[in-house]
Amino acid sequence: MESKLEDRITLLDGSRIIIESAVAAGAEVFTGYPITPANLLYAYAGKRFPVFLPAPDEITALQWLCGFSSVGKVGVTATSFPGFALMLETLNMAYLMELPMVIILAQRLGPSTGSATAGAQGDLLLLRGCISGGYPIPVFCPADFKDCQELTHQAVKAAIQMRTPVILLTSKEMIMTNRSFDLNEFEEKEKVSLKYFENGKPYKPYLADEDTMVPPFLPLGNNQHQVRINSSTHDVNGFIQKATKEALDNTKRLKVKIEEGMKEFNFYSLNEIDEARILLVSYDISSDAVLEAAKVLKTRNVLVSTLILKTILPVPENILSILEYYEKVFIVEENLSGLLREILFGIQSQSNIYGINKIGEMISPEDIIAEVSSN
Amino acid sequence: MVQELRTETKIPYCPGCGHTVATNNMVKALGKLNIAPNDIILVSDIGCCGLVDPLLSCHTIHGLHGRAAALAMGVTLGLNNKTKKVIAVQGDGGATIGLQNLLEVARQNVNMTLIVQNNMVYGMTGGQISGLSQEEFKETILPELSSIPPFDICLLAHVAGASFVRRIIGRGDYSEALAEAFAHKGFSLVEIVGMCIPYGIDDIRELTKISAQELTLENDKSVFSVTPENKSSLFKSIKYIEKKYKSNLKGKMSVLIAGSAGEGVQLAADLLTQAGVASGLYATKKGEYPITVGTGFSVSEVILSDKEILFTGIDKPDVVIVVSEDGLRKISKNIGEDSLVIADHTLQMPIHNKLFTSEFRKAAGKKGAVLSAVSYWLKMSDVIPIDALRNAVSKHKHAKDLMTLTE
Ligand code: SF4
Ligand SMILES: [Mg+2]
Repeated sequence: MESKLEDRITLLDGSRIIIESAVAAGAEVFTGYPITPANLLYAYAGKRFPVFLPAPDEITALQWLCGFSSVGKVGVTATSFPGFALMLETLNMAYLMELPMVIILAQRLGPSTGSATAGAQGDLLLLRGCISGGYPIPVFCPADFKDCQELTHQAVKAAIQMRTPVILLTSKEMIMTNRSFDLNEFEEKEKVSLKYFENGKPYKPYLADEDTMVPPFLPLGNNQHQVRINSSTHDVNGFIQKATKEALDNTKRLKVKIEEGMKEFNFYSLNEIDEARILLVSYDISSDAVLEAAKVLKTRNVLVSTLILKTILPVPENILSILEYYEKVFIVEENLSGLLREILFGIQSQSNIYGINKIGEMISPEDIIAEVSSN
Repeated sequence: MVQELRTETKIPYCPGCGHTVATNNMVKALGKLNIAPNDIILVSDIGCCGLVDPLLSCHTIHGLHGRAAALAMGVTLGLNNKTKKVIAVQGDGGATIGLQNLLEVARQNVNMTLIVQNNMVYGMTGGQISGLSQEEFKETILPELSSIPPFDICLLAHVAGASFVRRIIGRGDYSEALAEAFAHKGFSLVEIVGMCIPYGIDDIRELTKISAQELTLENDKSVFSVTPENKSSLFKSIKYIEKKYKSNLKGKMSVLIAGSAGEGVQLAADLLTQAGVASGLYATKKGEYPITVGTGFSVSEVILSDKEILFTGIDKPDVVIVVSEDGLRKISKNIGEDSLVIADHTLQMPIHNKLFTSEFRKAAGKKGAVLSAVSYWLKMSDVIPIDALRNAVSKHKHAKDLMTLTE
């Protein structure tokens, strides 16, 4: 138990890691309205972000962030369902305008105001459909402290690289619980920066790069090229156009842009046990219980593999083939109806797909062990 | 030679529309001020007036209904550049949707202009009345609401703190009045009362008669802007914990600590957690208290383990430390048959075979009771050495007072 000189062991919470990582990745602005359980994120943001602006409501917070983003300053906000609901229209605006930003959604028990101080995993289906038309929005979800750093970094990077709002999905227990942790486990990360259009040709704000489908960025107000940004259906010049081919092609591009762009952001952790025919799948805070249950089951000679999803949306293609490989799949999530289960398998019940669900308190390893043992 | 601000795009508005007059006056006013198109950022709202983007060769951003003021505020603060002129344009509909946004930018007095083109109706959706419709105008389309007065958007913005507001009745050449607002340093709001031919007032004499009076109001106020400031890493300010003690713990041990708000429950739990880590253990800690943090219970859950801790929930805790009525009421249902319970002497405890009581509150005072109960437990168990707790206490800013509680 000798303490090594290089040990950097401390007690900390996920909120601190997320905010630190966002700024280290290059985010410059935080706007927000406090809401439980995202309050710690807000508090740390005030101490760390180069620009921190308390907004009078969540709509204003996200509109401000869009303004900053349109002049090349990438920002972050943090909220929970009630605030996120207010942000929805502006989130759609940012998506169609193609403005990079990260929205941290800290889940809590709903419906409605629900219980501010009770954790939950209840917002995944909302995220799946939050862009009108069903367009994919990237959703990253940390399952432990290392992820809090890594996935926040990746969220900022994905936002900048694809010029899009990105959701960092988390929940109360992940960002408020203190844990002992060795800071040496974190890797140094490079800042990501927004690349500007540098071509001598005339600038068309929504003329996308043919490979990435991402239009090169220029900030509003620059001295060289006029920039037009638009949240209504628009052509490559940024002019409103109602359902012309050019404008619809621009809208269709958004789907491909995210689907293709997300291929390099496929994060999950799969622990495959030889001969296991059972797979436990989870994300966010329930992952802890899954990993602990798997250990206990192993001591009882029940072999299970585990799959923790970290890039949740759009669902990476290879995830489906992992799922297909198993005879029984248990999906563990803190909600009643099985949101991830519905995203992965639809609403038609399948005899080999099981949900382990609960609300009001964390799903425990015992809950999982009991379900696996009885099925 | 300054590039023309007005593009060749044809005006999209109905003949006689107030928005055409407003657009021409805006172009003329900006020309008078000699601002280059690349120094202008036009932020447009939804509605007929939001069709202005293609008419101008400056930077444009076309957003949501009602949100032009908020979006423009983000643009202005983000640019932080006095040579750039940010102008937001919205109608009377947008002004009421985004009233909070409008008041906020006025209150903060950010350096930009908001033009509210008030034609007293929602033109794009078929001529419904708005919150800015005058009584006399409503009489013609919705008499039952004609007794309700409109918002005076100029007065609202003025009271909220806008450093310049002006109402213009939109006829003829008012570019000089607009130019003054554009040139103002700080937030300027201009309400332009104008005509909407198919649905609103279609006669300029009628408009002049019905409209609220023209006015200009000023507040002497400093302009708000933000300069980015580099701040140090959040990891810089945290203390590392040196592992200099030894623990005999094998496996996981969960401790539930309960007391009253303001009596140091969370602090005692923090110190215990630090002591655990200093003894080479893994540890987790979470707190729970009512939303009104200054009253009622305060509870903390600590888990210590010689192996990495995954699941951080506690069903039946191994140890319960409870020192007040509030605390007991909150956690009594969590006490398990096998839980070791340390309680204040005064509490009405249920019968329990592993119950230890002492006069913590009486001896250590209500604010010292929790830490002295935690120390009591550490001394009777051999989970972590009491010196590890004392070492954690010694680093606290009130170390002197706290230390006596561990004795
Ligand atoms: S409907 Fe009214 S506001 Fe719209 S363009 Fe015609 S006159 Fe102008
Ligand atoms: Mg109107």
